[in-house]
Parts: sequence; C-alpha cells; structure tokens
Amino acid sequence: MNRLCQSMEPRVMDDDLLKLAVAEQGPREEAGQLAKQEGILFKDVLSLQLDFQNILRIDNLWQFENLRKLQLDNNIIERIEGLENLTHLVWLDLSFNNIETIEGLDTLVNLEDLSLFNNRISKIDSLDALVKLQVLSLGNNQIFNMMNVIYLRRFKDLRTLSLSGNPISEAEDYKMFVCAYLPDLVYLDFRRIDDLTRELAEIKHQYTIDELKHREELTQAQWEEAQAQKEELEAHKAAFIEHLNGSFLFDSMYAEDVEGNKLSFLPGVGELLEAYPFKDKFVIICLNIFEYGLKQQEKRKMEIDTFNECIQEAIQENQEQGKRKIAEFEEKHLLNLSAIRDESEMPVIEMKIVECGEDITQLFNVLMTLEMQLVEQLEETINIFERNIVDLVGLFIENVQSSWCTMAQCRDLESHHHEKLLEISINTLEKIVKGELDEDLPDDVRALFVDKDTIVNAVGASHDIHLLKIDNREDELVTRVNSWCTQLVDKIHTDEIMRNRKRVKEINQYVDHMQNELDNLEFGDILD
Amino acid sequence: MEVLREKVEEEEEAEREEGTERLSRPEKMPKLLRKEATTLTPELLRDMEQKLSEIKVPIPGDPPTDDTIDIANLPPSYKVNTPREEQLLQVADNFSRQYSHLCPDRVPLLLYPLNECEVPKFVSTTIRPTLMPFPELYNWDTCAQFVSDFLTMMPLPDPLKPPTHLYSSTTVLKYQKGNCFDFSTLLCSMLIGSGYDAYCINGYASQDLCLMDLTREVCPLTVKAKEVVHAEEKAPPKKYAIKPPRDLTSRFEQDQEMKRQEEIKTAEEKQLREEEERLMEAEKAAPDPLHGLRVHCWVLVLSGKREVPESFFIDAFTARSYSTQDSHFLGIESLWNHKNYWVNMQDCWNGCKDLVFDLGDPVRWEYLLLGTDKPHLFTTDDEDDGINDDDDDVENLGKEDEEKSFDMPHSWVEQIEISPDAFETRCPNGKKIILYKRAKLEKWAPYLNNNGLVCRLTTYEDLECTNILEIKEWYQNREDMLELRHMNKTTGLNTDYFKPGHPQALRVHSYKSMLPENDRVMEFYQSARVDGLIKREETPKTMTEHFQGRPDFLSYRHINFGPRVKKLPLNSAESNPRPIVKITERFCRNPAKPADEDVAERVFLIADERIQLCYHCRNDHITASKREFLRRTEVDSKGNKIIMTPDMCVSFEVEPMEHTKKLLYQYEAMIKLKSEEKLSRHQAWESELEVLEILKLREEEEEGHVLTISIYDTKRNEKSKEYREAMERVMHEEHLRQMETQLDYLAPFLAQLPPGEKLTRWQAVRLKDECLSDFKQRLIDKANLIQARFEKETQELQKKQQWYQENQVTLTPEDEDLYLSYCSQAMFRIRILEQRLNRHKELAPLKYLALEEKLYKDPRLVELLKVFA
Repeated sequence: MNRLCQSMEPRVMDDDLLKLAVAEQGPREEAGQLAKQEGILFKDVLSLQLDFQNILRIDNLWQFENLRKLQLDNNIIERIEGLENLTHLVWLDLSFNNIETIEGLDTLVNLEDLSLFNNRISKIDSLDALVKLQVLSLGNNQIFNMMNVIYLRRFKDLRTLSLSGNPISEAEDYKMFVCAYLPDLVYLDFRRIDDLTRELAEIKHQYTIDELKHREELTQAQWEEAQAQKEELEAHKAAFIEHLNGSFLFDSMYAEDVEGNKLSFLPGVGELLEAYPFKDKFVIICLNIFEYGLKQQEKRKMEIDTFNECIQEAIQENQEQGKRKIAEFEEKHLLNLSAIRDESEMPVIEMKIVECGEDITQLFNVLMTLEMQLVEQLEETINIFERNIVDLVGLFIENVQSSWCTMAQCRDLESHHHEKLLEISINTLEKIVKGELDEDLPDDVRALFVDKDTIVNAVGASHDIHLLKIDNREDELVTRVNSWCTQLVDKIHTDEIMRNRKRVKEINQYVDHMQNELDNLEFGDILD
Repeated sequence: MEVLREKVEEEEEAEREEGTERLSRPEKMPKLLRKEATTLTPELLRDMEQKLSEIKVPIPGDPPTDDTIDIANLPPSYKVNTPREEQLLQVADNFSRQYSHLCPDRVPLLLYPLNECEVPKFVSTTIRPTLMPFPELYNWDTCAQFVSDFLTMMPLPDPLKPPTHLYSSTTVLKYQKGNCFDFSTLLCSMLIGSGYDAYCINGYASQDLCLMDLTREVCPLTVKAKEVVHAEEKAPPKKYAIKPPRDLTSRFEQDQEMKRQEEIKTAEEKQLREEEERLMEAEKAAPDPLHGLRVHCWVLVLSGKREVPESFFIDAFTARSYSTQDSHFLGIESLWNHKNYWVNMQDCWNGCKDLVFDLGDPVRWEYLLLGTDKPHLFTTDDEDDGINDDDDDVENLGKEDEEKSFDMPHSWVEQIEISPDAFETRCPNGKKIILYKRAKLEKWAPYLNNNGLVCRLTTYEDLECTNILEIKEWYQNREDMLELRHMNKTTGLNTDYFKPGHPQALRVHSYKSMLPENDRVMEFYQSARVDGLIKREETPKTMTEHFQGRPDFLSYRHINFGPRVKKLPLNSAESNPRPIVKITERFCRNPAKPADEDVAERVFLIADERIQLCYHCRNDHITASKREFLRRTEVDSKGNKIIMTPDMCVSFEVEPMEHTKKLLYQYEAMIKLKSEEKLSRHQAWESELEVLEILKLREEEEEGHVLTISIYDTKRNEKSKEYREAMERVMHEEHLRQMETQLDYLAPFLAQLPPGEKLTRWQAVRLKDECLSDFKQRLIDKANLIQARFEKETQELQKKQQWYQENQVTLTPEDEDLYLSYCSQAMFRIRILEQRLNRHKELAPLKYLALEEKLYKDPRLVELLKVFA
C-alpha cells in the first residue's frame, strides 16, 4: 500500500494537518460543538490517528504531552524521531513504513504495545527503556539472525510477539526456538502457544537455555552485590566515616610516599614494625573512629526522626482544627445563604449579606490565628532542634579530633614511628659510613645515605606526607559534617516557610472564593 | 463392742485432758442462736411455729412420702446395713452422745438420718462421688446449674430442724424433687466425682436462701457487664512536642466555676443516694422472725484441688456461688464429705464471716473419724507444730491404733446415672420458672416449644411484677437463625438478633411494626453480602445505608423520599415507589486517585435538578474542592438548545487547573454524573424492594418457625434414624449369614468319636465319607420333599378342576371368582415348586462337589486325607 502512496508528494506534519486530525477525531455531537467552540489544546489530546497521510518525517508532535495512543501506520516514515516528549505513550503503531533501525524510543518508558510490522528492520535493539512492553509486532521485516530473539528475554511482561515474514521464521526450528527462549510468551504470530509445543521446545533447548540462565543469574548476582556495596558505602558516607573500617587510610599514606617505601628496606625497620605494630594500631584507631561515627549517625537519625514525627503531629492537629472550623462555618453559611434567597425584603437582605461578610472575615481571622499560632510553635521547636543537632555534630567533631580514639592519636602514633625511623636511619647511616653494614641495600636506597641531611630530609618528607594525609582526611570529615548540618537546618527552615506560604495562600483563596460567591449573590439579587 | 466402748472412754478422757479451753468454747458457740433464743421464750416460739405452720399451707406438691416411693425395686444395700456400716453407726452414736454431753446447749447433730427404706444411714455414705459422662458437667458452675435446673425444690418439713430422712441421690433424681439436703448431697457427689474438694454443710441460712426465694436478688441475666474503663495510656511527651498555646483564661474564674459545679454535683448525688436508700428500704423484706434458726444445707468447695484459688459456697438451690463471708449464711453446725464428718467448734456470732475452714485444725473442727488422709493443719511456725505434734501423739495414742484402720465404708447408694434424654430435658417436664427481683425467668428444654423458644426473661417495672418493662426471648435451633428477640414494652421497639446464616445475611433487625416504610434498622453480616451493606436505617421519609469494603469505595447512601404523587387502587399489582427527592452518597478515599479528583460526597438534588460534588481534602490542606452542576437544559433566545454554559457549573478548586475550566471537561463530567444519578436511583429502588422482600420473608419465617435438627442428633433426625435402622438390619442379616457359613458340618460326626483323641487316618476317611453320604442323603431328601409338594399341589389342583367342571352350572359368580383366584394361586405355587426343583437338580451336584472339596481342605482332616488328594 505504501508503494502506492510513494507516487504522491510526501506530506509534512505541520500544524494544519495536526489540527485537522485532532478536530476530526475529537468528540462528536453536542460535545463536538463545545469542542469546536473552545478549541482543543494539543496537550489534552489522548489519542491521535495519522494513517495513510504519506508522511515522510515525524515532526511537530512535542505539544502532545499527554498522548496515550499514536497511530502513524501506512506512511513513508524512514526514521523514528521526534517522539521524545510523548512520555505517556502506551500504544505506538508504526507499521507499514520504511523504518530501517529501531531508535529514538528511549524516553517512552510507559509503552506497552509497539507495532513495527512491515518495515525494513534487520536487528532488534534499542528497546531497553521499554520495560512495560507487552505486545511487540515485528513481522515482515528483514530480521535474519535468530539470536535477536534472546534480546527479548529482558522484557518480563512480553506476552505477544509476531515475527512472521522475517528470514528467521523460515528456519525449521523457528517456533521451537522462540518458545524455548521466551517461556512467558502466550501468543506467537497471532496464535496461542499450546502447552505441548512449549514442553517440546523446552526439552529441545534445555541445555543452552540452562547455560543462558546460569549466566544471567551470575550477572544478576554480581549486579546485586555491587549494589549492596554501593549502598553500604553510601551509608558510611552519610555517617562521614567511609573507608575508615580498614587499612585504607594507612595504605593511602604510603601510596604516594616514595621515601617511606624505600626506607622500609632498612634493616632495623622490619624489627621496629614488628615490635611496635604501627599498622595494626593505626587500623584499630581507624576502626574505633568508624564505630563511633556509626553510633553518632544513629543518634542523629533518631533525633531527626523524633523531630519530624512531632512536627507532623503538630501540623496534623492544626489541620484538623482548621477543617473543623471550616466545616462549622460552611454549615452556618449555607443556612444563611438559603435564608437570603428566601427573603424578599431588600433591607433585610442587605443586612444579612453584611452578616455573611462578617462571618467570612471572622473565619479568615480564625484560620490565620491558627496558622500564626502553629508558626510560632514550630519556630520554637525548630530552634530547639537546631541547637541540639548542632551540639551533636560539634560533639562528634570534637571527639574525632581530640579525644582518646581519634585522629590526634593517629598523629601521635605517626610521630612516634617517625622518631624511631629517624633513629634507625641515622644508625644505618653511621654504619654505612663506618662500612660496617653487611647487608645489601638497593641502589636507590643506598643513594639516600649520602649524608645526614639527605637522610633526615627523606625521613622528614615521609613523615610530612603521612601527616598531610591524616590532616586531609580529618578536614574532609569536619567540612562534610558541618555542611550537612547547615543544609539540614536550612532545609527545615525553608520547608517550614513553604508550608506557611502554602497554607496562607490556601486560606486566602478560600476566603476570596466565599466572598466572591457572596458578591455574586448580591449582584444577582439586585438584578432580580 | 468392748473395744469401741473402751476407745470412746479413752477419747473422752483425752478430750477432758485437752483442757477446759475447748469445753468452754462450745458454750458460747452459737451465740447468735442463743441470743435469739433468749429473746424468744419457748411459748413465743411455739406461737410462732403455729403461726408459721398456718402460713405454710400451700406447699408446692407433697414431699415424696414413703408410700409414693417404690422401694421394692431398690437394691439390698438400700434396705440393710452392712456390718461395717453398723459399726460406723455405733461410732457415730457414740460421738453424738459425747457431743451432747460436752455441748449440752447445742442442737443434736445430723449424723444418720433414715433413707427411703427407713434404714439409718450415715450421711457421708450417702455421698456417692460420680463423674458424669457429659463434658458439660465437668466444671462446678455447670454442675450446680444442672442440679438446680433438674430438681424441683421442696422446703424442709420443719424449717428449724434438719430432716429425718435423707434419700439416696438415685431416688432424688428419679422423682426430680428434693429438699436442700438432697440437692446438696447430689451436687457434692458430682463435684467430688469431678475432682473438687467439696463438702456438704449443715447450717443456718437466711430465709431467702432456705425457701429458694430469689425475688430479692437481681437476675444475673439483667446485670449488664460493667464496661471496663481502661484509662488511655498517655504517651510521654516527646522531645520535640510543641508547646500548647498560652492559656489566657482566668484561673480564678475557672476555680469558681469548678466549685459551683462540684456543689451541684454533690447535691445531686446526695439526692440520688437518698432516693436509692428509700428504694432499698422499700425493697427490704420484713424482718424474719426465725432469722438465724432456719436450717439449710449447702456445699462448700475448698481451695486447692482443680485449681480453685479460694474457698467458696455454692447454694445448690440456685446454683449461685457465694464467698465464705457472705451474709446469707448464718452459721454452721457440721460438714461432711464422703470420707469424714466434722463438727464446727467455732463461734458463729458473726455468721460465717470469721470461720476458718482449716479442717485439719482439731480445735476448730472436731472430726468423727481419724482418717488416714485427713486434711493437714496449716502450720504457721515450726515450734507450734512440734508441740502440737507431741500433744497429738500423746492424746491420740490409743485412738490412732484402732481408728486408723477404720475408714468410711463405701457408699450404699447405687451409681448415679442421668440419661442423655433427661440431661437434655433438664427441668422437670422441660420447663422451669424462676422469679427474681423485678424479673421472671422461664426456661424450656430445646425442641419443647415448636417455635424454638428456650428461655424468656421478663423484666418488670415494679416489685409486684405487674408492669412489664421488657421481654427477652432466646431461641435455639431455628432455621431462620433467630437467636434472641428483645421486646421493649415502653418504647414498643422490637429487636431481633440472628446468628450467621440467615438467607438475607440479617444480623439485627429492630422495628416497631412489620409494615414497610416505618422506622426500622436492619444490620447485616457484611461478609455474607456481595454489596458490602452493613446497616440500613429507615424512617418514614428517609433510608440510610452504610457500606463497607466496596470496590467503588461507597460508604454511605442517604435517600430522602417525597410524598407519593398518585394514588393507586389498593390492590394494584404494580409497585408505586415514592419519588426520590435527594440522594446523598459518601465515598471513602480511593488511594489510587489524586484527592482533587476523588469525590468524597455526592448529592443528587433530584427535585432541583442539581448535583453537588465535594471532593476529598488533600493531605496537607484544610479546604476541599467543590463543584455544583445545574442539570437544567434551557433554550436560548433563538430556540437552540443550550448545551453547556459556564454558569451551569460552579466550582471551587483548591488548586485551579486549566483543563477543568473547559466546558468540554465539565460537559463530560456532567454526562457521566447523569448516568450515575440514574444508577443511584435504581439502586435506591432496589433497596426498597429488598426491604419489602426481607419483611415478607421474615413474616413467612415467623409463621413457619421450622426448627433445624442436627445430623448428629440421632433421636430427632428422622432421616438419619431410618438410615441407621436400615443399616442395622443389613448388619444383622450379614451377621446371620456369617453364622451360617461358620456352621461346622463336621461337628455332629466328630461328636460321635471319643473326645480329645487324635484322629486316625481310617477315622478321618470314614468321617469324610459319612459326612458326604449324609449330605447326599439330605440333598435327595430335599429333592424328594419338593417333588412331593409339587405332586400334592398338582393333585389338588386337578381335583379342584374336576370339581369345577362337574359343578360349573350351579356355581354362583362369587364361587367362580373364588375358584379362579385359587387356580391362579395354585398355578403360581406349582410353577415356583417346579423352578425350585429344577434349580435344586442343577445345584445339588455342584454343592456336593463343593463340600467334598471343603472337606479335603478342612484343617482337621487335611493331614490325614493328603494321600487321597
């Protein structure tokens, strides 16, 4: 059929075409008249049919934000494009076109039904985003590789598939293969798959499928593991003590320390490390900090939870009060209004209307008082909370910096180590000078022992690097904790302000509406 | 005898030695009684007795006197005493004499009253511990209830003295009546049988108890369970709980107000109390002149066994339990169980309030027999215990040696049996009436009333029971599952309660009249209904329905009806529904929809052609969206129909949205609402129909009152009875057949041989041959017999035919008929005989072979006949 259309001039998808289509497919009869009267906005359209229009290029569809169903079949479209904005699309028909590759569908996450029948597609891919896909029609295409079917295993909801008219469907094994690799499929090429076929297929391809499954499971497990690790790291980061539960910091101290590594070849250093297990002690301190950090994190979390709970309770209660007041008011107001309608004498009506106006003002006052009261209460509570959380954070920082299980200890340990190392180095130097050293040292190490200054400098440089690392880690921790704290407090404040604005706006809107209604009534009565 | 005498003397000595203390106690023991006695001179007492006997004329029914009791069929143990019993009676006699000697001012003990055969029997042996085969009778409360229901109460012949006769429980059960001693003995037997530590008490009680007068008691069924007010646990204020706004009211004013309130309250309370007191005064009975003298018998259950935490009394007449401190019980003379007998040595000046039920304490309770398993004294401290032990040893040295061996003889009473029938029927004739204070309780056995009524409680306004307040009727086994009907006579409101299983899932139905369109409330079992209806309330002008768990979240529908427009002829078949004025529907929050689109309340003002919608409130908002549609279709100036104008839909939106402003949207919403309005009206109409249907059904059920019969109820279920009987018949036949097959064909021949000897081969062969020949003979005989009968019949028939042919002319039609019928019968007989003969001829050889084979396989002959086989 598209061959026939090809003889005609390709059409452009312009505004007129779309408007015409929308108007044609819009509501009928009375509703249609209304629609005509008002015009239909493109973004209100839920379904659009553009078949047999000789369209070459998909265009100008970005306004149809809420489109659920789009039919573009029997055109001469060559590329899938311009559909990025239609994220609500559920049903997409692109059959009988000239499409060669599947593309441009990455944003259509809600798509359930996709038809690409009678195109020139040779490979199934780029469908990863379509997690809800249920029906896929790919008949009359150029798919020749059976392995394309395996790609479809990722769609857990896929129930209907059509692949007939492709080179692969010529294969003898085609049906069995598809049934075996897509066990959840119900309809293949518009026919229900019977249980017998399914069983046979399963038996036939059992080995390859088991292997495939095994591989898939392995990947899944790996992915999960990575995910779990990531989560753990996130949790530690939230407590600001990531990488402190091991020798990570220690290792990083030596990673950039050239001299230190060289010096570790000195004869006495090994013994020194044995006598004073520098690394072990260091790691223990790190672990202490880590655990302390976790505990503090727990404490902070509890604090925040109680705070949120209390605030929520207060707001809820206030809302209830507000609702009650409004309900009371509405009851009274309704009675008043009906009384006004029944009344016939003008002065009485006017008096009553004034009364109603007063009622509305009073309601406004009551509601605003409630809100102000809540604002005051919340402010007080928020301030208390702020004080507490700042205190908590301060305590945490202080403890990490200066108390018993801390960075300061790390530094002490490092200094101690440095002194010992210096001593050994000088001794070695003396030995070398005296020529008493009987061990072989690597050349670059020996190069350090030229004179005292060089060796002292080398040891000092190593020490400096170590200290710098420790300082950096400490600084990082402190800055991050502080910034977290300020962010939290800021967020609470802004949230509260937003809430207040919203409520005030709501009250105003309601009262305005009520007042308007009353005014209209007045107006109407006067007209009568 | 000699030994006994000696022992008694020793006992006396021991008692005397025990000290003056105890001697002095009995004198002041029944102080209460004595007080009464001193105020009443003997003459006065006699006067009173006379008066009382005059009053007491209408005794309900005669007590079962000896001539009404059939003693002929009673077992011998009822009529004579065994030597052990005799011995026991002597011991008791001795005890009694000592007792009257030591406590001359106390009433003689009830030790061995006469039984129905005029034989003295010791009271303890009248108790026959029995565990009843009904699981319902395992606990004390149900036991007591059964005894009180099952027996009819008879007052004591002399209210001031224990009875002279104490019948066995079997006799009492048979005649279903008895006095308090009979009641208590039966109950005690049952309680001991099911493991309780129970005793019969002979003592003094208030008039109400003795005469089973419950008219001063509040009926337990009318007492409403007190609602347990559990104080709501106040959660401790959380750390960040907000402070309440400052209270700006005056403290002083509050205080003043509070004081004023309190004053009013106290005044009211005082008035109330006075009122109550006045009422109490009015209700209080006239003082009983025989207070404290009326003999009564009740049951004591001691703590310890069957996890009874505290000792208590049971009054066998009413099955009520009382604490041991209850003021109804005024004194105890003695108590006994099936093992022993104890005399109370404590002072009863304060009723039973100060009594200590420590039966192991010989100072407080004087025992009759030194049983081996008497309750032990609760010792408070070891020193005392040691001393007491020594004393006991010294005093009881002589006693123990002989008495230890003397246990209470076994009860003379036959096994107590209650048939399942009697158990079910319970009360005599299945009916019982109890009068309470301002209430009357009637009980019936199940299936006695054909409408299933089992219990009726009538509550009255006044003490004289004339103005009925309300009636409660309990039903059982009704097919319409009616369980309880509550009729309030003051408001005229009837309430029916149903068990699950009514065809219309009805749970409660309260109404004033069964006519439709009246005030009524119907509650339903929600899980049994598809539409989730819980409750439907009706007034003449409205109908309100409550729903739960519906998929469309409808929770409430209220319908206002207007007056009927047209009058239909009375007997017209078509229904004439009232016009609906207004339908209000409320919905629960549907979590799948945003709050602004989820309708909370929908009002169809049908008369005004108006539809009001109120939406749910958002979580963080205090106002909710609203929308009102005017359904009226109008025609504009040019005569065109106006489809939709902006003023046909007035709306307030919490957060105004663009698309809702559009006419098209509003139009579509209105079209949808219109169809929903139609649906709601239809449902309202259906509800009305359903009410009519239920009312009709209820009326039919009320008239039919069919009772259901459980398939396990073998007695009443006719179908299962028939089936069972058929089964039994089949079983019986089967059994007979088996008997036949087991018939030993060798037995008569074996009997001829000398018994006990082993068969020789020759004997065996002979045995076999004899058996076979005998069988052959029998077969031939049988064939001959059949043949003979056959010939006889044929001959007779021929004779008759001859006779007929000869007299054919003279025969009357009747004779001819007779002849013809005879002929056909005879022909039938002949044919049957012929068939039998043929069959016999066919089967006889087979039977013969079968027997032969059987004989070869017979275990007794198989060894010996092997050679031939």
